[in-house]
Order: sequence, then structure tokens, then C-alpha cells
Amino acid sequence: MEIVFQTMANGLLVGALYGLVALGFALLMGVMKFLNTAHGTFIVLGGYLSYWLLDLWGIDPFLSLPLVVMAMFLIGIIFYKLALSPLLKLPNIGMRINTSMLITFGSIWVLDNTMTVLWTPDVRSIMTSYTGQTLKFFGIRFSLTGLGGLGVAVFVALALYFILSGTYFGKHIRAATQDAVAASLCGINVQRTYLFSCGIAIALAGVAGIVVVSSYSISSTAGIGWLSSAFVVMVLAGEGNINAIIPAGMILGLIESAGLLVVGVSYRQAIALIVFIIVLMIKPQGLFSKREYGS
Amino acid sequence: MLKIAHIDVYYGDLQALWDVSLTIGVGEIVTLVGSNGAGKSTLMNSISGLLRIRAGSIEFRGIRLDSLPAHSIVEQGVSMVPEGRRIFPQMSVLENLEMGASIHAARKVRQKTLKEIYEVFPILGERAKQRAGTLSGGEQQMLAIGRALMSQPKGLLIDEMSLGLSPLVVQELSRVIQRINKANHLTIFVVEQDVPLALSMAHRGYVIENGRIVDQGDAKSLLCSARIKEAYLGAA
Amino acid sequence: MNWKKLSILGVSVMLFVVPPLVWDLGTSVLNLLIMLFIYIILAQSWNLMGGYTGQINLGLAAFFGCGTLVTHFIWKAGVPFYLAMTAGGVAAMVLAVVIGLPTLRLKGMYFGIGTFALAEVCRIVVGSTFQRMLRMPSSYVASYSLVSRYYVAFVVATLAIVVVYRVTHSKLGLGMVAVRDDETAAQVTGVNTFKCKVLALFISALLAGLAGGVFAYLRLSFHYIFMMFSPVWTFEPLMAAIIGGAGTLVGPIIGSVFLVVLSEIFALKLGEAHLIIFGFLFVLVVMYFPDGLVGSIDRIRRMKVLVGRGLVKARQEPSSRN
Repeated sequence: MEIVFQTMANGLLVGALYGLVALGFALLMGVMKFLNTAHGTFIVLGGYLSYWLLDLWGIDPFLSLPLVVMAMFLIGIIFYKLALSPLLKLPNIGMRINTSMLITFGSIWVLDNTMTVLWTPDVRSIMTSYTGQTLKFFGIRFSLTGLGGLGVAVFVALALYFILSGTYFGKHIRAATQDAVAASLCGINVQRTYLFSCGIAIALAGVAGIVVVSSYSISSTAGIGWLSSAFVVMVLAGEGNINAIIPAGMILGLIESAGLLVVGVSYRQAIALIVFIIVLMIKPQGLFSKREYGS
Repeated sequence: MLKIAHIDVYYGDLQALWDVSLTIGVGEIVTLVGSNGAGKSTLMNSISGLLRIRAGSIEFRGIRLDSLPAHSIVEQGVSMVPEGRRIFPQMSVLENLEMGASIHAARKVRQKTLKEIYEVFPILGERAKQRAGTLSGGEQQMLAIGRALMSQPKGLLIDEMSLGLSPLVVQELSRVIQRINKANHLTIFVVEQDVPLALSMAHRGYVIENGRIVDQGDAKSLLCSARIKEAYLGAA
Repeated sequence: MNWKKLSILGVSVMLFVVPPLVWDLGTSVLNLLIMLFIYIILAQSWNLMGGYTGQINLGLAAFFGCGTLVTHFIWKAGVPFYLAMTAGGVAAMVLAVVIGLPTLRLKGMYFGIGTFALAEVCRIVVGSTFQRMLRMPSSYVASYSLVSRYYVAFVVATLAIVVVYRVTHSKLGLGMVAVRDDETAAQVTGVNTFKCKVLALFISALLAGLAGGVFAYLRLSFHYIFMMFSPVWTFEPLMAAIIGGAGTLVGPIIGSVFLVVLSEIFALKLGEAHLIIFGFLFVLVVMYFPDGLVGSIDRIRRMKVLVGRGLVKARQEPSSRN
């Protein structure tokens, strides 16, 4: 019985991370209908930034958050300008999704391999004074880094929620999502809104990267694995349903951990994928289908 | 106030407007009538910046609009109520109206403008917290007009107001439009398929056919003109 | 049949068939060419689904890996290679049924990610099941001849090109293109879109499986068999097909040549660095040259015509001001 509770607890912590990983991805997809397959790569990049900040200047990963966020935000803006904004000229949404998928996919090869050349394919992880430490609640062990990840995930999700529903900029994002043409007729600079949204999305990837590198590890080719998780979570939450992302991530974490008890560690990644396929087949609009952002 | 001079508009390689010119004076209600596909919405989209013109010029109070992006045109004081209303369905009525006041100048006086809009369209005040997608067609049209007015425009464009609405609602809207025009001296350009409605609301009118302006004049005389009678009013 | 085209074809075939018989090309050149042929098969396979039918299959690696795996074991069991390779192709087709069943109903990008997910599941399962190295008995090693691998690869590659040619020039091919351009319109005009998609999937799987068989023949032993199911085996042919020109017969061939040449140039430096250039090219192609290299040649040809016409016109009329 102990094992079950412990597994559930692990599942929740991992799940929070899955949710965090998926946030930026879902934001880009929900707002601009851009399928950023390079999302995982940006997560890894964020992880590297945090790693080097610790390695070169001794900055703790969780403290490096603001720096990484700013850097990744800038990178996101550049990425938008270079690779994504030309896609806005495409006539329909389907083409936009497909083309953005292909373009970001090409970017994976460029970015992943550039990172390999620059930083070698070695696996990196961060060791701090609290790595590997656990807290014990009611007989269940919670890893400190896992709790830190949970905290970051919840904090970021709340911050995003507040931005989207409470600030005018966030409302501009929602308006542009629901009807970009009408938004520009209201005087909203949709291009600039998209630009900043992309910056936010990539910054979110960076945050996820920090948690990943401190709880697990990163390597220059690990991106696709995290993209996979992001995708599964997004489909579980329902496309466009940003508020359901963290809960959906936790559900995935729970299912994965439960599955681990049954099939064993080596099939771990397969569990998420199979859940994914099943959801795609049965309820493609997601488990939560509240349809916040229209269509 | 609004001067459109000899514009040509294309959709790709397909020409939609040929040498279109018209002027709208301060405080006028001017209408453009024509059948489906004649080019009315094309013209509206060109003025509001959603479409680029290929020749000619569009000027508003002396400033060229045709090279500006849509959101900048709103800043110049021209606001459009688009065809099909296009309100933000998942946002509340209040949020929709707030979005209308996105430009800097409008943001400062947002609260005051909101009160005025609620006076003109009381039902919007009643339904302020309701999701816009759940409103009826007529209410949505009011919301769309209200939203456009939130930017404190000097010129209002209305594209196909009557589409999908019952005659009673349309009449009410028409009365409101005329009231706003008189009260605030607001310049209004209306594009309509419903010819009698349009010509009863407006001071002057233009007729468009196959992308070209074929007639113009003050509303009353257009209503009596033989061409209009034949083509649109089904007279013998 | 166009005599000029036939003669070009004949010469190119001779170019590939004769040299290995006459000269000793050396291991590295032969290896390179064999890999080129394998990539051509895979690129054609992907192109049939992606370029012609508009179904972006991101799980091609599963069919390739399946073909490699099955061929390896059946050949090891003593069955003559040609039958083993065929079995590999057929096994891939069976896998296509398993993968196709849930995914073919999915629309748009979900088909892509569904196939990707299932291919990944295959990779993980295979990786967990076959953890030790897969070896061939020494008799196979002793009788190894790279030249025979070369001809097998060449034959299968030619077969792939011929199959794709015949299919795309048939009624089925027309249906496929219709599905790609507008599935709803195709359905409405009586095209059995489901059949087109299924057949495209099957033929694609068969070709990929055969490619896997050739690879099994080439490599004999595998340290980590699950690597044959790695997404790289989907994405490199995909990029080759698109850069070369999706939806054309020659595109995948040109793209594969590009891919192999680039990887050779960079092989001396750092393993996968050629992919940086390739990725860049890929992005450029998707953004600005959607018809790939083949399309650009077409476009240059068309521009030459337009420029020519323009010159003629200018000569005929006196310059007029508007």
C-alpha cells in the first residue's frame, strides 16, 4: 500500500512538471495555431542556460529563473520574427499548422545539432546542496527538486492565468485568439501581441528547462522526448484550454506512475504514448473540453 | 472627411474594384448599396485596412489611410463594424466593449464611454457579465456597434448591418444610428444590401455594381430613380 | 514512350550497373551508394504518402525497423535472403494495418502525431524486448560480399521508383492527389478517399520494409536494434523528399543525393553536423520553395519562358507610358 501512495505522489510531482512543460507549447498552439515541434529543444536550451549559469557563476537554478526567463523571452521574439511570422500570410489555419510543424521541425535539426556541436551530446544535470534530498510527509517521500518543480509549475500557471484574464495585454491575446481580424479592428496590434505571446511561450519553455535540468537531466538530443510529453498533455487538456494544462499534466503523471507499477520502468515512455493514442481516438477534444478559446 | 479617390482593389490577380471614388462629408450618413458580390465589403475592408489597394488613395481628415495597418487606422479615428458582427464569443459583453477601447486615446476615457454606450444600448448594460456568444443576433449587432464606438471614432463604418436580423430589430438599430449621428455629429458610412433601409437612413447614397460606382445622389432621389427601382426594388 | 527519356534512363542504368562489375570501387564508396539507394527507397516511400496523398506520416521508421528486424530473423533461420526480405516487407504491411487502424481516421496534424506516437511505442517495445546484440552466424560473415549488397539495393531502389511511377500514373494516383488537394472535394466527387489512403499506407509500408530488409542484408549484426526504429529514419527521408520536391518522382532522388553528399562532407567533422545545414535548407524550402529543388528548376524554366516572352513583346511594341 505504501508503494501505491509513494507512486501516486511521484506521479503528481512528475505530472506537475509535465504540465509546466506543456504550457508554452499549448499557448503557442492555442493563440496562434503554431505547432512548435521545437518546443522540447527550447526546454533543453533553457536547461543549458541554467546549467551554465550555475557552472560559470554559481547561480542556483531556481534563482536563475528571472535571468533565464528574460533570455528565453528574447530568443522567443527572435524565433518569431525569423521563422514564424511569415506564416501569418498563409490563407488558412490548416496550412498554418502544417507549415509551422514542418518549419519548427527543421529548426529542431538546426538547433539540436548546433547545441551538440557547441556543448557535446553529454548528459548534463545539476547538482546542488539539495539535489536528492527528500521531505517526508505521512510516510511518503517527496523529493525537494520535485516539490520545487511543483511550486514553479503552480506559480507559473497562476501567473499566466492572471495575465490572461486580468491584464489588458492578456485580454488582447485572448481577443486575437478568438478573432484576429476583429481584434485588429478594435485597434489591437495583433502582430505585436503575437510577438510577445511567442516570447512568453518560449520563456515558459525555458522555465520548464530549469526544472528539468535540476530534477532530471538534459542532453542536446533530449528535446523530442519532452515535446512528446507536451503534446500528450495538450491533447489531454484539450487544444486551446490553457487552464486545464497543469491538471492534465498531473493526470498524465498519475496514469504513468500507475502504469509503471504494472509494466515496469522500461516501458514508461510507451505508457504516455498509448494514453495519447487512446485519447486521440476516443475524445480528441481533450478530457476537459471546456473550449475556452473557441473552435 | 473621408475621401476615396480612384481606387483599384484586387484579390490576388482578380480585380474587384475599378476606379472607385467617393466622398463623405462631416456629420453625414452616406450609404453604399448594391447586390451581393458587387464589391461593398471589399470597399469597407479596404478602408479599414484589412485589404490593400493597388491604385488610388484613401484619405481621412487629410491623412492617407491606405498605407496604414488596420490597428493604426483605428487610431486615426475610423472604426468599422464588420460584416457578421465578429464579436469575441468567449469574452463577456463588458470585455468585448473594453477591447473596443484598446487604443490609447480611448483607454483613458473608457469608463465614461462605457456609460454612454450603456445609455444608447441599455440591454448591453443588463448583460454586461454574460458571454457574448450567448447573445441573440440583434444584441450581438448592438454589441458590435457599441464596441466600435468605444474607440471614440470620428468616422464609423458599418458593413451589412441587417444581415440575419429581424425587420423590427433592424428598424431599431437604424433609429439608434440616426440618433448617434445627430447627437455626436458622427460621420457614418453604411454598406447595405437592404436598399430601402439604407436609403431611408442616409443623407446621400452611392450605388455599386460589379465593382464600379454606377450612380450617386441624395438618398431621396436615389430611392425614386429608375435604376434603383428596377434593380433593387422590383418595380415595373 | 519518349525515346529521349528512355535513352537517358538507359544510360543512367548502365552507369549504375556496370562500374562495380568492372572496377573495385572500394568499401566506402559502395557503402555510400548502398545507403543512397536505401534513402531513395525510404524517401520514395514517404513521398508516396506525404507528397502525393498529403498524409504526413511521421512514423515511417516503424516500418523500416520492422522490415530490418523480421528480415534479420527469417534470414538467420536459413531462409534464402530474397524470401526473407520479402517477408520483411510483408511484415511491415501487417504493421501498417496495426498502425493504420487507429490513425487513418485522424485528420490533419493528428495523423502525423498519431503515427509518430505509435512508431515510438514500437521503438520502446522493441528496445525492451531485444536487449542483447543481434548477431549473424559466422558463415554469413564469411560469405559476405559488398558488391552483391550493392546490386540488391540497386534493384530494390529501381523497383521502388518503378512502383511509385506506376501508382502515381494510375487512377489510384489521381485519387491520391485529389485527397491531398482537397479531401472533402474528392469524397464528394466519388473518390474512395479511404481506399486511397489505405493503399498509399500499404505500399509505403511495403517499400520501407523492403528498405529495412536491404539494411539487414547490409549490416548483418545490430548492437541496438531499436535504433532502426529511431525517428531519424523517418525524418531524414522526409526532409530529403521535401527538399528534393514533394509530390514528384525525381524529388526524393535528388533530395537523397543531397542528404548523402552532405553527410559525407561532414562525416569527418562531427557526426550529425550535416543535419544543421539540412535543417536550414529544409526550413528555407518549406518557407520559400514549397516545390523543392525540382520545383525550383521548373520555376526557373517558367521564368525563362516569361522573360523570353517579355523580350519579344518589348521588341515589338514601342515603349508606352501609362
